[in-house]
Amino acid sequence: MVPEQDDLTESLIWPQLESLACKEGSLHLSDFFLQEPDRFAHFCLESDGLLVDLSKQRVSSHARDLLVSLADERGLDCWREALFSGAEVNCTEHRSAKHWLLRDPSDQAAEVHAQLEIMDSIVSRVLEGQWRGVLGDAITDVVNVGVGGSELGPMMAAFALHSTPLAEGETRPSLHFASSMDGSQISQVLQELNPRTTLVLVSSKSFTTVDTLHNANTARSWMARALGLEMDNEAMLRCHFIGISAQPDKMTAWGIPSANQLQFWDWVGGRYSLWSAIGLPIALTVGMHGFHELLAGAHDMDLHFRQRPWQENIPVMLALVDVWNINFLDIRARAVLPYDGRLKYLPAYLEQLEMESNGKSVSRNGDPVDYHTCPVIWGEVGPNAQHAFFQLLHQGTQPVACEFLMTARRYTESAHSGAAVELEGQHALSNANCLAQSRLLAFGEQALDSTLALPAYKRYRGNQPSTTLVIEEMAPRILGALLAMYEHKVFAQAVIWGINPFDQWGVEMGKVIATDMLAVLADPDGAHEVDDSSLSLARHIACKQATQ
Amino acid sequence: MQVAVYGDTLCAQVTATALAQTGHQVAWYVFGKEEHEQLNQEQPLFNEQGLDRLYVEQISAGRLVPLLRGQSAVEISPSEVVFLALSPGSETLAEDILDVDVKPGACRLVVNQTVGPVGVAERLRQYLLSAGYDAALVALPDLIQEGNAFLTFTRPESILLGCYEREGEALMRELLRPFNRRKDVLQVMSLREAEFAKLAISGILATRISFMNDMAALSESLDVDIDAVRVAMGADSRIGEAYLYPGCGFGGPGLSSNVLALLDAQQQKAAEPGLLEQVLHTNERQKEVLFRKFWQYCNGCVKGKRVAIWGASFKPGTARVENAPALKIIEALWAQGVDVAVHDPKALPDLKRWAEKQNKELLLCDTPYEATLGADALMLVTEWKPYWSPDWQRLKQEMRTGLILDGRNIYDPAFVKAQGLEYRGIGRS
Repeated sequence: MVPEQDDLTESLIWPQLESLACKEGSLHLSDFFLQEPDRFAHFCLESDGLLVDLSKQRVSSHARDLLVSLADERGLDCWREALFSGAEVNCTEHRSAKHWLLRDPSDQAAEVHAQLEIMDSIVSRVLEGQWRGVLGDAITDVVNVGVGGSELGPMMAAFALHSTPLAEGETRPSLHFASSMDGSQISQVLQELNPRTTLVLVSSKSFTTVDTLHNANTARSWMARALGLEMDNEAMLRCHFIGISAQPDKMTAWGIPSANQLQFWDWVGGRYSLWSAIGLPIALTVGMHGFHELLAGAHDMDLHFRQRPWQENIPVMLALVDVWNINFLDIRARAVLPYDGRLKYLPAYLEQLEMESNGKSVSRNGDPVDYHTCPVIWGEVGPNAQHAFFQLLHQGTQPVACEFLMTARRYTESAHSGAAVELEGQHALSNANCLAQSRLLAFGEQALDSTLALPAYKRYRGNQPSTTLVIEEMAPRILGALLAMYEHKVFAQAVIWGINPFDQWGVEMGKVIATDMLAVLADPDGAHEVDDSSLSLARHIACKQATQ
Repeated sequence: MQVAVYGDTLCAQVTATALAQTGHQVAWYVFGKEEHEQLNQEQPLFNEQGLDRLYVEQISAGRLVPLLRGQSAVEISPSEVVFLALSPGSETLAEDILDVDVKPGACRLVVNQTVGPVGVAERLRQYLLSAGYDAALVALPDLIQEGNAFLTFTRPESILLGCYEREGEALMRELLRPFNRRKDVLQVMSLREAEFAKLAISGILATRISFMNDMAALSESLDVDIDAVRVAMGADSRIGEAYLYPGCGFGGPGLSSNVLALLDAQQQKAAEPGLLEQVLHTNERQKEVLFRKFWQYCNGCVKGKRVAIWGASFKPGTARVENAPALKIIEALWAQGVDVAVHDPKALPDLKRWAEKQNKELLLCDTPYEATLGADALMLVTEWKPYWSPDWQRLKQEMRTGLILDGRNIYDPAFVKAQGLEYRGIGRS
């Protein structure tokens, strides 16, 4: 059973927050620091290898206390209990959301552990060079064919952890990701790879995703052609294709032999699935030991989320500060800025996790909401973003909340010993830039010298709030905690807003219409009930294709 | 002369034995207690054909004395000549020996036989000079061929000598005189040139083998017998016959570590990597060629099958399995759940040690036919003489599947097939 929840508009705390915002909303961040010079100590949270500094947010202690009361009023504790008891928290699809079970070490996750064992046997064979292609060659390259949650999570985490040392005698295969529907990636990847030494992972929860199946079909015919085999050659499929899905029958129908099928379950949402067999590319990067560490770190965060009071609860405080920014300070954009290149794909991952989860405008009670929910989220590796969109952050007209991520320790591995001094220097430079940017965004040119008399176009008004996350080091366990932190933050926000973060009805209709548009493209001069713009575009394309 | 030989390598054993045999008084220093005890019990470290007997003879005659370095109970007169035949890459140990063991005044010559990066001998010579020794230092790169070690030392086709001092050359000529009689094969050059020449020789031999393995793979898809091609190529005097045999890869401590040393030099000098890297890569792949043939024959379903391997040493005549193709084959078969039974005339003890380190059980067989009993395939990996003419009818009756995988192309495909067996060779079928 899921808890009852009143509409947010009936909240008693909400109006109090609104009036507080009227009072404090016009304060500059430097005022907050003047009033409370030791803000850091009061707004800093630390757990599981992560430090979260919220002191550069435009939140006073009073606001924080009210926000915490809001969490109570919205019944966050009951909802958290509902999530972890397997209640039907995904009401529109009548499902539970048990991604936390994927990292539960206890016996209640027996079916999860059984799949992990199958993964283990696959991973160890590949890493030891003993997974064999149909001609007996060791696999050197792995292509992950999947899109959305079947790509973004695994790609982000595998890239983040690619410098993790492996056990002796293990060699990491090269990983490739192919998702785009138009075949841009798969055609490029297949051109470069040797079919004899390539293993293809076909990842799709439903195993009906057209993007993925088309890419997988292309990979299969490429392999068959190159090896001189039939498309349905049993040995080729057994040696070169692994399926990962919640639909074993559909995997079988496509041609994946049962021994090569890894399963997960309806109760795992695609964007929450990197902890399941969907994470196989991660395990192929860090080994099964590392993958178990990743799960353990996420489990650490599950316990943190379940046990800590709101004021000390990292995901909850992140959620509440976001709510403050969006609903009371009217800041409707958030930039994710990792100052560690290994987190290059984190922004894309978070774009899906947050915007697909909380990009909703209908409450759980079925009513349209009259407040903002998920903001626009985008991001880029911080130092590179400085040369791209930081201009807007510093001097544009849009308020943007920023999220800085940095790692404390780096380049300590012996593999870097040759160039360690230079690389350590680069790491220090990157961290210095991270701290400099959050200072300047917060305090404006006063961060330098308040007496400077600058022309208007050189001025930095500051007052852009930011959160800084310090990751102790990029180890699987800490990354696991970080990602679970974001998952729970998204859930906590959804509870405040009274929306369902686990469905994604907004991406369904387009798939249907695309089928209609195929018919229009095939015969643009036929009779179609399509608007003038779309029909004209289809005709233009047909015309260009005909004149080639 | 009073000669000291340092090292627990095959080169040390051959050098010590050959010098003792020609009348020198040789003190052979090893570094491990076990090795020392073994030598004291008249058991040589390496079981090379013929070398065992010669070793025992020198011990009995009192011309060869095995010693544990640092703990010699026997009073030995200071050596005039010191040979360093250490394991590859033992530069620090070499310096320590020069420091501690070499007696200034008494020692006139240090001979470095240790394989290492180009430049080691020069550095050792500099070390001697700066320490104020008056001994000369020469490089005598180890050209010994395992399996035929003693003869390649005592009847050499050529001897490479890196040398800067006239006195060093004269003394070397005197020491090698018994082995350099029919015609003078001593080639004198700089220290670095001698070291590099040795590595380059290994490099081209490895290249020839990998080239032939490439040609063999192509032969299979072109339906050509590589052996006919090999004979034709060898008849061309610009090419010659040696090292043209395709097979299931070369191994051992020598050839591969020399090529690795060359590759290392290339990488340190940031030279364009190319041929050598490919040569080694081709060879590593080639070590699994018999596994791939078995895998293809079974269409990738090999679990629970049984494979017999004949020959585990990295070449016939040696008891060692270091880097041997058999090891990679066994690992691959184990990983697929295949039972492996091995026969080898000499290398089973070394193989057993290796298998124990992997915590795996291997069936080690006393006779070749014990290994093939009930097997689904026979892999001929090392071409020991007793394997050349097996009892084909017995194999046909006793194997579960009569599949012969000939990793050295020693059988006649047509004849084997006529016996009712299946045959796959390297570049022929």
